[in-house]
Amino acid sequence: MSPYDRPTRVPSQGVDLRLTKSARLRRAAGLITLAGFAALALASCAAQVNQHPTGDSQAPGFFPGQVVTIQGQEAANLYPIVFAVAAVVFVLVEGLIIWITLRYRRKPTDTALPVQTHGNNKLEVLWIVIPFLVVSGLFVGTYATLADTEKISPTPDVTIDVTAFQWQWTFAYPGVLNAAGQPISFTGAGSTGPEMVLPTGETILFRLHAQDVIHSFFVPQFFRKLDVIPGRVNEFQVVIQDEGTFGGQCAEFCGLGHSQMYFTIRAVSPSDYVTWAAQAQAQANASPEPAPSGAVTVAVHAVSIVAGFDPNTVTAPANTPLTVQFTNGDPAVAHNFAIKAANPDGSDFIGEPPVQGGQTGSFQVPALPAGTYTFYCAIHPNMTGTLKVGG
Amino acid sequence: MATTAIPQARPYASRRSWVLEWLTTTDHKKIGALYITTAFGMFLVGGIMALAMRTELAQPGLQFLTPDLYDQLFSMHAVTMIFLFVMPMMTGVGNFIVPLQIGAADMAFPRINALGFWLVPAGAVLILGAFAFGGAPVGWTMYAPLTETTPAHGIDLLLMGLVLLGSSSILGAINFLATIFKLRAPGMTLMRMPMLVWTTLVTSVLLLFAMPVLTSGLVMLFIDRNYGGGFFDPSLGGNPILWQHVFWFFGHPEVYVLILPAFGIVSEIVPVFSRKPLFGYKAFVLATASIGALGFTVWAHHMFTTGAVYLPFFSFFTFLIAVPTGVKFFNWLATMWGGQLKFDTPLLYAVGFIALFLIGGLDGAFLAVVPFDFMVQDTYFVVSHIHYVLVAGSVFAIFAGLFYWFPKMTGAKLNERLGKIQFWLLFIGTNVAFFPMHLLGLDGMVRRVVDYAPNNGWADLNLLSTIGAFLIAASVLPFIWNVFTTLRGPRDAGDDPWDANTLEWATTSPPPVFNFDELPAIRSERPVFDLKHPGASVAHAAAGAGAAGKDTH
Repeated sequence: MSPYDRPTRVPSQGVDLRLTKSARLRRAAGLITLAGFAALALASCAAQVNQHPTGDSQAPGFFPGQVVTIQGQEAANLYPIVFAVAAVVFVLVEGLIIWITLRYRRKPTDTALPVQTHGNNKLEVLWIVIPFLVVSGLFVGTYATLADTEKISPTPDVTIDVTAFQWQWTFAYPGVLNAAGQPISFTGAGSTGPEMVLPTGETILFRLHAQDVIHSFFVPQFFRKLDVIPGRVNEFQVVIQDEGTFGGQCAEFCGLGHSQMYFTIRAVSPSDYVTWAAQAQAQANASPEPAPSGAVTVAVHAVSIVAGFDPNTVTAPANTPLTVQFTNGDPAVAHNFAIKAANPDGSDFIGEPPVQGGQTGSFQVPALPAGTYTFYCAIHPNMTGTLKVGG
Repeated sequence: MATTAIPQARPYASRRSWVLEWLTTTDHKKIGALYITTAFGMFLVGGIMALAMRTELAQPGLQFLTPDLYDQLFSMHAVTMIFLFVMPMMTGVGNFIVPLQIGAADMAFPRINALGFWLVPAGAVLILGAFAFGGAPVGWTMYAPLTETTPAHGIDLLLMGLVLLGSSSILGAINFLATIFKLRAPGMTLMRMPMLVWTTLVTSVLLLFAMPVLTSGLVMLFIDRNYGGGFFDPSLGGNPILWQHVFWFFGHPEVYVLILPAFGIVSEIVPVFSRKPLFGYKAFVLATASIGALGFTVWAHHMFTTGAVYLPFFSFFTFLIAVPTGVKFFNWLATMWGGQLKFDTPLLYAVGFIALFLIGGLDGAFLAVVPFDFMVQDTYFVVSHIHYVLVAGSVFAIFAGLFYWFPKMTGAKLNERLGKIQFWLLFIGTNVAFFPMHLLGLDGMVRRVVDYAPNNGWADLNLLSTIGAFLIAASVLPFIWNVFTTLRGPRDAGDDPWDANTLEWATTSPPPVFNFDELPAIRSERPVFDLKHPGASVAHAAAGAGAAGKDTH
């Protein structure tokens, strides 16, 4: 007698039947719950009013919100097509699953084996070919859209140099210069971040630069993000169609302050933009960067305890007071700027107070005779660099 | 087959002390059990991290986590769930079941098998130990240069822990390949192997190609961090994009490492509970192999927004993966079509898997549309996608497999009622937790943030998602109680409680050391079925179909 004869099938059938009914009820309950939660989700969001600049004015839903650029709109136009394909597949497959689970439950009368179907070549070819055609169609749509949205005009109307660093943005306008011939620029923090003013209807080129780690320049209403990567300049172009204020945010995790790395874009009419640019230019000229008289500014950037300073060789003129503009790119660690044997009595110059992680500060260094000095972080003496004074 | 095994009073009887036995065992079943229990413990640890994060996100504003702790948690949650839960769990199930399914006495290299397991707790201690050294708040992707400039020494522990786990996976993959190619029983041809064996085979190939790349990358990152290597640091002439290529060349095949065994488990369960053979066996094997091959052609779809990859190539191949995946879906449905479905917990989980993994798959098609990916990359849309794939996918399949093979592993069947309560809690919880994330992502909520703006209309959906997370957590409790009470009860499940098809059901529950005293003849992919239904088997053989192709009766 083999143990593989099917014994005790019959007594268990009563149990099967009861489970079948209750399981069916539970399935129905599950479906109702699902539908209910979907309805709840939609209804509850519809009531929300959004005033925050980091999102669009519409509540979350199954379709993209307001998209304000020509390129973004073209990309967003793909969404309903993909959604329709996905919806058809979803309804078809889930419908089949529900039908099969209801129709082919094991019944007490099922003592004989069902038909042992091992396959069907025609059917299988069919469900290889049809999905292949569908995804090929989607790919063609993707390819065509990409060709449009990624076009870079060689002569953009406005260029913005976006610089990301932990955890802020700087927007510089190389087309709008101050009296010193430098692009005017804006840096800011807080829940709105720095504001970038742009004209509608003109081609805008974004050039993305990163100072420390990878960030991502993301404006939901542009339907677009592009990573900001150190050692590389990424570019993309948009034409904004609608005036308004649109929030943006860093989308690539970049450390402690990532969730607060906001910025704002304000799109205005071309004439308003010209007016704004003139005003901004005048403002920049009215209040030039404050610098101590006679002092020369030297930029020093601390990267981390491991990586030290970048660059780690800094030059300065001899016998001139120095203002060290100190950027601490190290997320959570304070650093400072010290120079070995720089004081007249031979002791080290030590800059106080230290600059906290991710912030900037400045140190006033007295005039130094020509020579080569070693600078370091007094908190982490392994972080060193070379200061060449004069020559 | 009445003389399957030497009668045993207790499973795993041994004269050695209980502790010493488990510490030194080279039995693939015990090692499998060690993998499974370790992995389940890590599932609880990773789940608690997720609950902490979801609690913080339930409302806008900072409530009880600091940004730094939140960053540590989301990084460690992913690492724990991927490297310490799903991978060891799948390895454990494979370890226990694959040698049984091919009629082998053990894995090909039992001692290497033990080494492979013991590297996992060692890696886990290093990785979770990171919390004591500032954590590793850099994401599981460990993007350079952030990983190099973040001072926390926990990152070094994470990197070294992952190197250990990578080595463990490489050893495991080689062992599986050797076992499957060299230790199959007479008659067990490649095209008669159960689908779990096929998926384990393909998974092992993927690991063998992908893991050494990651492991060397991790060492390079470690050198960069500690000795100024400069591989990925642009200020030293390195390239941060290179790290992303290295990481995702591993990372995408890794997704299939996590999901192919799940496909295998579902493909074992659906035929048994439908009382039909797997529809289109050959197509299934080919689909598995092509998913494995295509898995190496799509890695840069994780990098669309870097502006540094050739978009159309990776978009096209990403779309293409939908085709073999679709084959699997239709074959599962066709297997059930016309069957006699018995909705015990394993089938319930398998059908739940098919129903919900579909959503993850469709999300994937959206993400292959590059201009759309530009919008939702690094938003909650992607978070939703990954969780529909890994929770509705891998986790559902893991529970399906645990309920299915629990009687084989322990001799006792888990309680069906508790199993069904658990299933419905998990099914509803998964959807409530992860579906709203689609809408949040589409509205522009970025991921990996401890806080979000209060007036974007995101608060309600986040609260809903948090409720879902707690439902998922609640679903684990009946399972733990179920295992606890079942193991205290009688071990009376019998050799073949599910009326199943494959060889593991031809030995005792649990199987003796070295598994089989005698094997049934293997003439198809369902040797135990053939034994129970000689007529069906003869008709099948007479029809001349090896596995797929023709309708036979």
